[in-house]
Amino acid sequence: MSSVAHSPAGAHDAHHVDNKFAIFVQLAFVLAVITGVEIVMVYLPWAKWMIVGGLTVLSVVKFMFVIFIFMHLRWDKPFCTILFFIGLILAVATVTALLQLFIVGDSYPIESAPPRTAAAAPAAGATSTPAPAPAAK
Amino acid sequence: MSSHSAAAALDHHHDPTTSTGIPNKKLLMWAFLASDCMFFGSLIATHLIYRLHPPADNMDPKAVFAPALTSFSTFILLMSSLMMALAVNAIQKSNVRSTRWWLLGTMLFGLIFLGGQVYEFNEFVHIKKMTLSNSILGSTFFTLTGTHGTHVAIGVLWLGLMYVRSFKPLQPTSGWLGHALLHVVTIAGFIVLTMYALIRLLLHVIVAEEPMTYGQYFAGNWWAIAGAVLTFFIATWFAKPRGPVAFNEYNAVDVESMGLYWHFVDIVWIVIFTAVYLLEFI
Repeated sequence: MSSVAHSPAGAHDAHHVDNKFAIFVQLAFVLAVITGVEIVMVYLPWAKWMIVGGLTVLSVVKFMFVIFIFMHLRWDKPFCTILFFIGLILAVATVTALLQLFIVGDSYPIESAPPRTAAAAPAAGATSTPAPAPAAK
Repeated sequence: MSSHSAAAALDHHHDPTTSTGIPNKKLLMWAFLASDCMFFGSLIATHLIYRLHPPADNMDPKAVFAPALTSFSTFILLMSSLMMALAVNAIQKSNVRSTRWWLLGTMLFGLIFLGGQVYEFNEFVHIKKMTLSNSILGSTFFTLTGTHGTHVAIGVLWLGLMYVRSFKPLQPTSGWLGHALLHVVTIAGFIVLTMYALIRLLLHVIVAEEPMTYGQYFAGNWWAIAGAVLTFFIATWFAKPRGPVAFNEYNAVDVESMGLYWHFVDIVWIVIFTAVYLLEFI
């Protein structure tokens, strides 16, 4: 057999590639529909937690569709998925940790901290006690 | 074995010559994208923290943001991702002509996105009076979306270079590099002049408070329009087929690595669109 394309394996590959074309077009349609749903959802008279939850879920679905199908992770070796998810999980964990840090109320803009007088200021190099946080808003 | 049969035999997801079985260029790109996740994560976190704990004199995002334009930009970027995926699909089948058209389509949609961002930034600065330095919202917003826009611009440049690379002859002559350089320059000239003419048209004729007439517009911008037309024809002349090229399914990993970058820019925008824009309108 001179041409691989005419072998069963070649025919299988060609069929596989053609299917990918259809998958990509269908996925683009699905992504466009999800984006439309997201935009409409914002204006619905639903509870805030439902809309935030819905938007988060839809964004995650779009994100996963793109990385696994458009970016070929579905067909690539698992090591690519592991490598990317290491960075992704670290990023999500960092964002979550920072948001949580600010929610606990120990961090306030500098303008809202009580003024420090010269007498109250500690000597250079001395261990300072942090100023008490202002009352929660 | 013909090139098409070779395409069928070539496994684009496995490289037996590397210890991981993954092409090195692809592995490098995945590692870079993983690090870029953390970079954008920090920018998104900064924006969200200041939105959740805004200073007293912060601007109202609802009065600034325009969801219609952003939704349009999101749709454009999603469709550019489709074109990029189809470009990779085409080069994996050694279909160079189709690959070039999909690359050009991706570039065009990337430029439309950038044009939308230029228009949006212009409106925010000159009409809504939100600048990089006059509010926390402006600082975090422009830093985040500006960094993303820079990524898109780098992607468009990379797409242009890959497009010109696809014309490299099988037997490169000494003049090929100069030829390719001029090709890049004419494409860049066409893009810059077209965007300049379109943005001027949009700002001064269509949405201006005191719009100028089309005659006034053409009188003031004829050189940009003429330059865009001229560079278009020169770029088309450079793109004429001149024999076999050294660009086929064996370059698929180059196009795929570029595609990974482009899709990453898209997924970052998916997050920004929800976290920065949509959540403000609940």
